Amino acid sequence: MSGVPLAAYLALGLFMFMTGVVGVVIRRSPIVIFMCIELMLNAVNLTFLAFARYQFSPMVAGNSFREGQSAMAGQMMVIFVMAVAAAEVAVGLGIIMAIFRLRENIDIDEMNLLKG
Amino acid sequence: MNVPLSALIWFPALGALILQLLGFVNKSKDIKSIAVLFTTVALGLNLAVLSKSNSGTYLFQAVESVSWIENLGIRYLVGYDGISFWLTVLTTLMTLIIVVATPETTKNLRGFFGLVLLLETAMLGSFCALDLVLFFSFFELTLIPMFFLVSLWGGPNRNKAAAKFVIYTFAGSIFMLVGIVALALQHQKVTGQLDFSIINIQASVASGKFWANAIQAQTFIFWALALGFMVKTPAFPFHSWIGDTYAESPTAGPILSSVMVKMGSYGFLRFCLPLFPEAVQSQAPVFMAIATIGILYGALVAIAQTDMRRMIAYSSLSHMGFVLLGIFSLSYKGMIGGSFQQFSHGITTGLLVLLVGYLVEKHGTADMNAFGGLKAKMPLFAGLFLLGMLGSVGLPTTNGFIGEFLALMGAYETGARGLFGLSPGFAIASGLGVVLGAVYLFVMFQKVFYGPVKVTEGPDWQDIPVGKALPAFVLVFFVFVGGLYPNLFFGQMEASTQATRLMAISEATKRPSWKDKPEEVTIRVALEDPMQGQYIRTGSERLISSSRLHGNVDEKREIR
Amino acid sequence: MDNNAVWLIILLPILGFLIQGLAGPSLQRKIGKKALGVLAVLPIAASFVLGLMLTQGLASQEHAEAVIVSGGSWINIMGLNIPFEWVVDPLSMTMVLIITGVGALIHLYSTAYMAEEKDFSRFFAYLNLFVAAMLVLVLGNNLPLLFIGWEGVGLCSYLLIGFWYTDTANTKAANKAFIVNRVGDWSLMLGLFLIVVVISGANIPVEDNRYLSYDAMLPALTTALKANPAMATAIALLLFGGAAGKSAQFPLYVWLPDAMAGPTPVSALIHAATMVTSGVVLLNRMNIVFQLSPTASAVVCAVGAFTALFAAIIAFGQTDIKKVLAYSTVSQLGFMFIACGAGAYWAGMFHVTTHAFFKALLFLGAGAVIHAMSHEQDMRHYGKLAKYLPITFGTMMVGTLAIAGVPGLSGFYSKEAILGSAIANSHAGQLSAISGWVGLGVAALTAMYMGRLAMLTFFGKEERWRKLPVAEHHDHEEGHDDDHGHGHALTGDHKPKEVPVSMWLPLVVLAVLSAGAGLILNEGKRFEHWLYPSGLSQLGELKHEVPNLEIYSYIAAGLGLLAGVLVYIGGLPAKEGLDETKWARWRSAAANQFGFDALMTNLFAEGGRDVAIGTSSFLEDQVIDGAVEGSASGTRNFGGWLQQIQTGAVRLYAMLMLLGGVGFVGYFLFIVNRGGK
Repeated sequence: MSGVPLAAYLALGLFMFMTGVVGVVIRRSPIVIFMCIELMLNAVNLTFLAFARYQFSPMVAGNSFREGQSAMAGQMMVIFVMAVAAAEVAVGLGIIMAIFRLRENIDIDEMNLLKG
Repeated sequence: MNVPLSALIWFPALGALILQLLGFVNKSKDIKSIAVLFTTVALGLNLAVLSKSNSGTYLFQAVESVSWIENLGIRYLVGYDGISFWLTVLTTLMTLIIVVATPETTKNLRGFFGLVLLLETAMLGSFCALDLVLFFSFFELTLIPMFFLVSLWGGPNRNKAAAKFVIYTFAGSIFMLVGIVALALQHQKVTGQLDFSIINIQASVASGKFWANAIQAQTFIFWALALGFMVKTPAFPFHSWIGDTYAESPTAGPILSSVMVKMGSYGFLRFCLPLFPEAVQSQAPVFMAIATIGILYGALVAIAQTDMRRMIAYSSLSHMGFVLLGIFSLSYKGMIGGSFQQFSHGITTGLLVLLVGYLVEKHGTADMNAFGGLKAKMPLFAGLFLLGMLGSVGLPTTNGFIGEFLALMGAYETGARGLFGLSPGFAIASGLGVVLGAVYLFVMFQKVFYGPVKVTEGPDWQDIPVGKALPAFVLVFFVFVGGLYPNLFFGQMEASTQATRLMAISEATKRPSWKDKPEEVTIRVALEDPMQGQYIRTGSERLISSSRLHGNVDEKREIR
Repeated sequence: MDNNAVWLIILLPILGFLIQGLAGPSLQRKIGKKALGVLAVLPIAASFVLGLMLTQGLASQEHAEAVIVSGGSWINIMGLNIPFEWVVDPLSMTMVLIITGVGALIHLYSTAYMAEEKDFSRFFAYLNLFVAAMLVLVLGNNLPLLFIGWEGVGLCSYLLIGFWYTDTANTKAANKAFIVNRVGDWSLMLGLFLIVVVISGANIPVEDNRYLSYDAMLPALTTALKANPAMATAIALLLFGGAAGKSAQFPLYVWLPDAMAGPTPVSALIHAATMVTSGVVLLNRMNIVFQLSPTASAVVCAVGAFTALFAAIIAFGQTDIKKVLAYSTVSQLGFMFIACGAGAYWAGMFHVTTHAFFKALLFLGAGAVIHAMSHEQDMRHYGKLAKYLPITFGTMMVGTLAIAGVPGLSGFYSKEAILGSAIANSHAGQLSAISGWVGLGVAALTAMYMGRLAMLTFFGKEERWRKLPVAEHHDHEEGHDDDHGHGHALTGDHKPKEVPVSMWLPLVVLAVLSAGAGLILNEGKRFEHWLYPSGLSQLGELKHEVPNLEIYSYIAAGLGLLAGVLVYIGGLPAKEGLDETKWARWRSAAANQFGFDALMTNLFAEGGRDVAIGTSSFLEDQVIDGAVEGSASGTRNFGGWLQQIQTGAVRLYAMLMLLGGVGFVGYFLFIVNRGGK
């Protein structure tokens, strides 16, 4: 297989993931945090697909049925992740709407009612 | 009529439930009457169960066994013997007296009596349980109603007192739980089967196989269990919950405490002595020291109190010291004395608390300095109080004397012979507790009842009406019956006490066991007393002769 | 006479107690005090009659044999049997006669003395109960029964000393009596335990396991102690400790002077005639232990002699007539213990008997004087009362001469017996003889201070009570506050009046007995044979003849009385007057018990209270409870410290989750799987 090396995909995935992580920790607006979470999830998707495409696992090398299966597995995971991401965003945006209606303010640092 | 033991144990709880369900009964008078009815029936059931008892045997009677969690070896196993005989009577009697003595003006009387009845079930259960986990369950179950009784109906500082009581006792019980599990695991190691029934465990201990390879572990497990009981008894230094609990409880509280503390000393008799013979023998000096210190310390602190309830609390510490002194003297007289002292302490403390409770009910305070010259205004009350005081101080002809006398004699006996590492100093020092007891009680009596009359006229200062004094009369009756006719109580206790003692001090294969056949019972308790035939140590000489003359075994007296 | 009558002897006073206690107030209203008083005297008198009959039965035998009357069992466990059983023997019968006889006389006296009391029936209830308890003490056949009586009389003493309870001083004196007695009881109990241990340890069989019953215990104890003499000393000293508490020997005498706060009949019955002699009775019962231990006997002698001397000197510093008699009692009790220490136990009992007569007489007489003087007790306010109180005067003089040891009267014979035995025997070694000579000296002192008492009260140049300030003679119907002089005055026409019949009749009877008892009992020899027909088992026949002792005694009594008369013939000397700063130093010290009571109070009462408060506030509240509360607050503080992590900031949580996740994965990737893939 010529073309883009696996490491490139992984590096991109890592970069996206790190951006997302830093964004979650630094940003104060929950909408931006959700965007960063989406970014992290997409990075993970990319990594799954990369491995599915390049079939890097030594355990399935040489076994064409298993190779096919592992590719399938990788792609199935991506579908799952996308579904979960969608659901999570729906719920999360709903919560943000509710908080906004209550407080007129969605700054994360102001939400410290769980302080104990 | 053959009443099963479980009927006795669970009847009060059933009564509590019924009382809650009878929502249409609203008047306090009626609620109280129903509660009195239930507790009277409980007492009747108790007497019915006990009327069938065979006083000549130390085997458990009215045993009931139902499988519960079989694959862990836990069963519902209950039964009674000579040691728990009088404790169950004390429980039902005192609960009846509490219910009668509770004023009808108490708020939420239905809940109050419900909790009291639940507590009665828990106490009866713990005195009759023969499976370790079942015992632990009942033991802990007593904490819940007590907590609510104190924190909902108590004095100004009640929340703190209730929390302290529950957490302290519970902390001690955690150690006990560890010990229980360790015992069961040891049983599994020895016989291959996990079993929590003390009958089976003790049978294995009696044969010597149980602790054969685990002598060191025995002391640790013994202390684990002992810690739990020490907090309950209470034994110095784990006693500081009593002051607050007695002072902040409603009247019912300390009377119940006077029964609940027996669970501690009962635990020693039922579990520690039979199951840990070598540990008991080696740790006897420690416990004697704890007992002696408790006696003297309790008396000293009692002298310094101005609140009558706190004074009674610390006097409890002192009296229970005598119980421990008797039990750990490992002499027959001492153990009988200690066991009897449990019962007599319950009665005399109950009486004093009842009377002080009456003062608190009428005047809101138990501070000695708030009263003075009450004898002139309340002669009947003063008379009853004096009689209770005499029982507490141990005047001969009261039951307090018998218990203290025999416990001290037993402690002196073992100490003078130097057995089990004990010395006569324990008995001598504890005797001083008798003098100190007179000090705090008589000074209190003088401050409250003698002297110039400090109170004004008014209905509150009238003498206690005879109807209200009825429970006190009953208790006074027991004080003197116990003092003049103690054989009534001894008869039931003797076989079991001697058996427990032999379980603790005999050599491995000679110990009695609860699995002995009935025919063997007579022979077992008439065993040669291991303490027989030892001179008092004079200087460094000590003659040991094991001739079997009359000595401590009364051959003329038949054991049925 | 069937010996089972002994049950009645004990039960009748108990019945009297129950009637007086339960039905007293209502009966008082219905039948009046006079009838109630008779009802109180009857049981005691009946017991006396029964006692006489039983004694008659005993005396008719050549060698009086003890009879044991058994009742039900009290404590009966494996290895120890303590039944209810009574012993009818010379010792117990002697005491029964004294207790009920003198007791009945004092009951009769009290019906008049306490006639103005509101709590009339309560007094007699306690008094009857006391007689019952004392009877149990002397009639019991085993030591625990003796102990029941022992503590019972202690209780009654407490109740009666504090009879007028509205005055705190009385109740404090009552507490002191009970608590100091309890210290002695502690010693007695230890002695009891040691007896059981010694007998059972020596493997000697005891009939029916009655380890503490005299008939079964004493032979076994003798055998055991002969093999182990050190134990004899130990047991003897412990028993003597108990006796010292009850019989007010040094240092446990401090309660007796304070006990004078009670009504005078109480002082007469309890603190002179009966309760305080319990110690001597105990020593007589357990005399075998003392016979086997010369060391303990020497201690008893020494303590007795010291107490006798100490108390006699203190008596010179007292101005309250009852206090003089109280210290006199302590001193005479010392004599009884000198006798017991020397081995002449019967002489101790002889003195118990004669002392019961003359001391009760003296106290009752003093009560009559106090009654007539409207509660004035200070002798400095008496004087020339012989004129006004003839019968009281006459009988009290008989009593004074008896206690002084004037030849012919009973006191002389009993003191002779004591001193003779002490000097002539060597059972207790040198100390016995020394005690005897000290005793002789104290006899002289006794004569002198009693002479002082008599002179100050009945003689003198002036009627000093006329100088008391005027006060209202108010009605006493509400009941008294206390027996101390609240200074009712008797000025003007209000002269002291002789007391009524029910008060002087007992005085006369007791005077006759004080005078004649010695001769009746044939100068003591008959008494010795009566109590110990076969002599002492270990010491055999004791000597009590000392050459010239009689003459010395005459001289001592004579000198003492003479001195007393001469010093006080002119009335109250200026150096002993109302102004106490003029007193001689030794007299003021004596008045203060040489500081001993103050020392004891400071050391034990105050010091004890400080220890108690210290223990409570420091050890209990701060250390032990502090540990508990400390662990609770420690846990709370730790939780509070941990609480700082819960900031509520979502970003912090996110950061922590990230770090945790990284750490977790990294741990597994790099550290767990380090060994290989």
